Amino acid sequence: MCETCGCGVPSVHTIAVHERLLASNESIAEHNRLHLTTRKIFTINLMGAPGAGKTTLLEAMIRGRSRSGRFVVIEGDQATDRDSARIRLAGASAYQIETGLGCHLEATQIHHALHHLEFAGGETLILENVGNLVCPALFDLGEHLRVLVTAPTEGVEKPLKYPPIFRAADIVLLNKCDLIPYLSFDSGEWTEYVRGVNPRAAIFELSAATGDGLAAWLAELERRRFGFLGSDASVP
Amino acid sequence: MHEVALARGLLEIVERTLTPRDRRVVRVNVSIGAAAGIVSESLTFAFLAIAEGTRAQGAELVITTVPARSRCRACNTSYAFEGLIGRCPGCGCLGGELQSGNEMVLQTIEVADV
Repeated sequence: MCETCGCGVPSVHTIAVHERLLASNESIAEHNRLHLTTRKIFTINLMGAPGAGKTTLLEAMIRGRSRSGRFVVIEGDQATDRDSARIRLAGASAYQIETGLGCHLEATQIHHALHHLEFAGGETLILENVGNLVCPALFDLGEHLRVLVTAPTEGVEKPLKYPPIFRAADIVLLNKCDLIPYLSFDSGEWTEYVRGVNPRAAIFELSAATGDGLAAWLAELERRRFGFLGSDASVP
Repeated sequence: MHEVALARGLLEIVERTLTPRDRRVVRVNVSIGAAAGIVSESLTFAFLAIAEGTRAQGAELVITTVPARSRCRACNTSYAFEGLIGRCPGCGCLGGELQSGNEMVLQTIEVADV
């Protein structure tokens, strides 16, 4: 109420906030990252469109891993636990998050999932995000590395059509490269578009189905993990 | 529809910021980068829907768009662009380093005491 004359006109005042809209998610993500870093659990946010081959790639990585530590996977899907069942069958432990109406994973879901998983320390944790090229780009989960899986079947112009997620990636994997001979896909043009959106991302071409290029990607993963572990690279 | 999650974050900050004296939120001012991939109409719609039953019910959401700027990696030209990705007007190079246009910030809240 007006303090000058009590006329009943509400007195309005302005509160300065200047806070990022996703501050709450970011603070939980920071909490996750601190916990995972302390436990020496190298964590990857694996993003990509539905059908890019994220789960197939994970299966191939689990079966073909050399020294990247034991894999633990948190699966995000809108519905079903089919992907976590596939991961367990491939030989890794997995926890399924069914997001329901949610189109991406958020830091609080990862925090909750971490309470359901057992870690010895030194594992590589993979957060397989919901298949979506828009929303996951915005939400920090507490990962150490962001990897985007894409495929030539998605078309050469994908980086131009979905720049934020390509911009957010540390590594871009072009999966299903065995299909390139059957498609009109110019990988030089695609690479130029990825570089235009994100000049710092490392790019790997591979096929989870045939295993081509998988060794180079696993070697890079190992290199990044050792960089994360720093001098204490002796952790299993 | 990540705008629903953004609106949730927005409301969370509003509720955390209000004091018991603040009876009603009149207006919420946010700035959103033009290249952040946020649909203003969806954010407004989501905010109105989830603010129901709170002190922010009926508040106006004012979204100021922050223009996107990029710095060309090849020729170092800084330029403004529309859409989610730019092309250097100097040398024609695609993309470059995003200087602004990615922000999503709650700037101020205007509150009434009745």
